[in-house]
Amino acid sequence: MNDLMEQFLIEGSELVQVAIDDLMALERDPADVARLDSAFRAVHTLKGSAGLFDLVPMGRVLHAMENLLEQIRAGALTASGRVIDTLLEAIAAIEGWIEAIGTDGGLPAEAPSHAATLDTALRASLHLDAPPADTSAARVPDWLVELLLTEATTLSAAAAAGDTLTALRYVPAPDCFFLGDDPMAVVRSVPEPVVLAMTQREASPASALDVFACNLIITLVSRAPAEAIRRAVRFVADQVEIAEIPRATGPGANLPTSAVQLGGRSMRVDAARVDGLLDLVGELVVAKNRLAHLVHAAGPSIDPQLAHALADSQNGIERLADAMHSTVMHIRMVPLAKTLRRFPRLVRDAAAQLGKTVHFVISGEAEQADKSIVDGLFEPLLHLLRNAVGHGIEDGTHRLAAGKQEAGRITLSARRLGEGLVVEVRDDGAGIDPAILRRVAKERHLLPDASIDALDDTSAMELVFLPGFSTAAAVTSLSGRGVGMDAVRAAVEALGGKVMLDSRPGAGSTIRISVPQGAVATDLLTVQVAGELFGIPVEMVSEAAHVPADRILPLRDGEAFVLRNRTLPLLRLSVMLGLPAPPRPERTRVLIATSPSGRVGLEVDAFAERMAVLLRPLDGLVAGMPGILGTALLGDGRVLMVLDLPELLP
Amino acid sequence: MSVRLDNAIIRLEGECRVEDAEPLYAMLQDSVGRGVDLSAAGHLHAAVVQVLVVVQPEVEGTAADPFTAQWLLPLLNSAR
Repeated sequence: MNDLMEQFLIEGSELVQVAIDDLMALERDPADVARLDSAFRAVHTLKGSAGLFDLVPMGRVLHAMENLLEQIRAGALTASGRVIDTLLEAIAAIEGWIEAIGTDGGLPAEAPSHAATLDTALRASLHLDAPPADTSAARVPDWLVELLLTEATTLSAAAAAGDTLTALRYVPAPDCFFLGDDPMAVVRSVPEPVVLAMTQREASPASALDVFACNLIITLVSRAPAEAIRRAVRFVADQVEIAEIPRATGPGANLPTSAVQLGGRSMRVDAARVDGLLDLVGELVVAKNRLAHLVHAAGPSIDPQLAHALADSQNGIERLADAMHSTVMHIRMVPLAKTLRRFPRLVRDAAAQLGKTVHFVISGEAEQADKSIVDGLFEPLLHLLRNAVGHGIEDGTHRLAAGKQEAGRITLSARRLGEGLVVEVRDDGAGIDPAILRRVAKERHLLPDASIDALDDTSAMELVFLPGFSTAAAVTSLSGRGVGMDAVRAAVEALGGKVMLDSRPGAGSTIRISVPQGAVATDLLTVQVAGELFGIPVEMVSEAAHVPADRILPLRDGEAFVLRNRTLPLLRLSVMLGLPAPPRPERTRVLIATSPSGRVGLEVDAFAERMAVLLRPLDGLVAGMPGILGTALLGDGRVLMVLDLPELLP
Repeated sequence: MSVRLDNAIIRLEGECRVEDAEPLYAMLQDSVGRGVDLSAAGHLHAAVVQVLVVVQPEVEGTAADPFTAQWLLPLLNSAR
C-alpha cells in the first residue's frame, strides 16, 4: 500500500467521523448551518480522495450525498430525521469500505450493488420533503469557501479595514475568443480589486494547450459596491457568479479552521513509532540500572575522585532516562473523545433497531489517557451501552406506566480520580433485580446454591460478572454476541482496571469502570519454540520445570508426566502453534500453566528472559487471530507474539 | 509585431492581442526555458495570459502596465 493510500485511510476515517458527528448534530438542530457546512466539506473532500484512487462505488455514494447536502444548504430541503437516516446509512457504508481497504486492500465485492442501493435511496431523499421557503440561510458556494481559505490573510485584512467584500467567479465561455471577447478586459474593468486568482477550467498540460479556446477560471474579490461590479461584468453576466463574502462567516470565522490550524503545531506520527521510542527508553532504563550496579561495584577499587565523577555522571543519566520515559508516556496520551465520539451513532442505531427512544449524553471526553487505555475501552463500553439500550431502558409504554419520561436516558461520563480515570455508564432503565440474578445463577449452576443464597444484595450484583452468566437466552440479537459481563470485566482488567455495578430495581443501573491513565506494563516470560521467541504473561504460569525425557509417559493419544506425585498432561507448544517440533533433549523444559480443566505442562525448547512490556492488541491483518493476546516490540526492533494460553489450551 | 524573440528572451511589446497568443505559445514550446519580458507590454489579452498561466515561463523584469504589474506578475510568479 502506498503512502498516499495510507494517508487517505487515516484522513478518510477522520473525515467520516467528522461527517457522522455533524449529521448527528444536525439531527438535533437542523438549523445548524456551521454543522451542515462542515458535513458538506467532509463529504466533498472524501469524494475528491475517492476519485484519486478510482474507488468508483465510493465516489458514487459520496456524490449522491454531496448532492443531497447541497440541496439542504440551498434551503431546498430540510434535514429531517429520514434524510439524516439515509445520510448516516450512506456514511456508515463509506466507513466500512475504508476499513475494508485498510484490511483487505480493496472494496468488498458487493460494494457496487450496495452503492447503487444507497445512491437510489439518497436520490429518493431529494424529493422527500417539501422545501420550506427559507432564504435566510444564505449558502456559501464551494468556490467561495476555497477562495476564503486560500486568500484568508488578504481577505481578513480587508475585512478588518471595514470593507464589504464581493467575490466573483468568472468562467469565460470556451469560444469567447472567437466571439471577440477579452476576459482580461472584463477583469480590468472591475473596480477596486483585492484578490485576483486564475486557474484552468480543465487541467491541460503545457505541451497540449489549445490557444484558441479559453480554459480559464478567474476569481476576483473587490471592495467596490456589488452594483458597480455587476455593471462591469454586465456583458458576460451569464458567465459570472457573484457572491457577497458573508460578514458573519467572514474569512476564518466559520470556515474550516481545522484545516488551517493543522499545518501549524501538530504532526501526525504512526503510533508504532512512538511505541518503538518507548521500548528504546525501556532499554535505556535497563542499561541505566546496569550502569548503577557497575559504578557501585567499581567504587572501592578505583580512585575515589574517579568514582565520584562516575557516580555523578550516572545520576545525570538516570535523571535524563526518567525524564525521557515520562515525556514519551505523555506523547501517548490522547483524549477519550477518540473512543467516545463513536458511541452516539452506535447508541442511536441500537435504540432505533429496538424501537426505543434514548437520550444519550456524553461528558468528560476531554480527559486524557494512554492510547492503549483509550482504545481498549471501546469494546467494553460498547458492550455496556448495548446492554443499557437493550436490557436497561424499557420500552416507551412501560416507562410511561412506571411514571418515567418516555425517552430513556443514558449518560456516559468520564472524570479523573487521583491517578486514574472513572468512566461511568448510567441508565434510568429497569435496573437489575438481585432476586432474578440469584435465580439465573442457580439455574446455570454458577455457584453452589448455598453460597448464592448467602450473598447480600450488593454482592449478588457480582454474579453478572461470572463467566457463563450471560447466555444467548438472556440476551437479545443486539447485545448477544456471546460476550457477557465477564468479557467486559476481563477487558477492563487487561487494562489494569476494575468494574463495579450498582443497580436499583426500577431506577436504573450504573456501571463504573476505573482504569489507570497511563499504560500498564505486562510481565512476560519469553520462551523459545522451534527457533522463535514467544511471550507468555507471567500470571498464566505457575512454575517452570525441567523434566527428564524418560519420565514422560504416553497417555492415550497424548503424553503426561508426574510432578510432585500428580500426573499432568504434557502439551508441546510447537505442535499447538503448528510449528515443527525439534527432537526432545534429555531434560526437557516445561512450563506449568493453569487451564480451565486443571494444570497442564507446556513443553518449550528453552526459557528466555522475563520482561515488562507494553502489550499492543492485534490489529490489521492479524486482528482477531486466535491464540494471540497481542504483540510487543523488543528492544532490537523484533516483534514478539504474546500467547493467549487460556485460548490455546484445550 | 508585439511578440519578438530577442536571444533567449521573448519580449512582449505594446498591446498584446488574441492573435499574439499562438506565436507566443510556439516560441515557448520551441525551446524550453525561454523567459518572457513584459516590461514594454501594455494590456495582455486573456488568450496571452492563458498561455503564460499554462506554460509558466520565467517572467523577467517588471511590467510597465500597472494592472499587469500589480495583479498578473504576482500570479505568474507565484505559480512557478
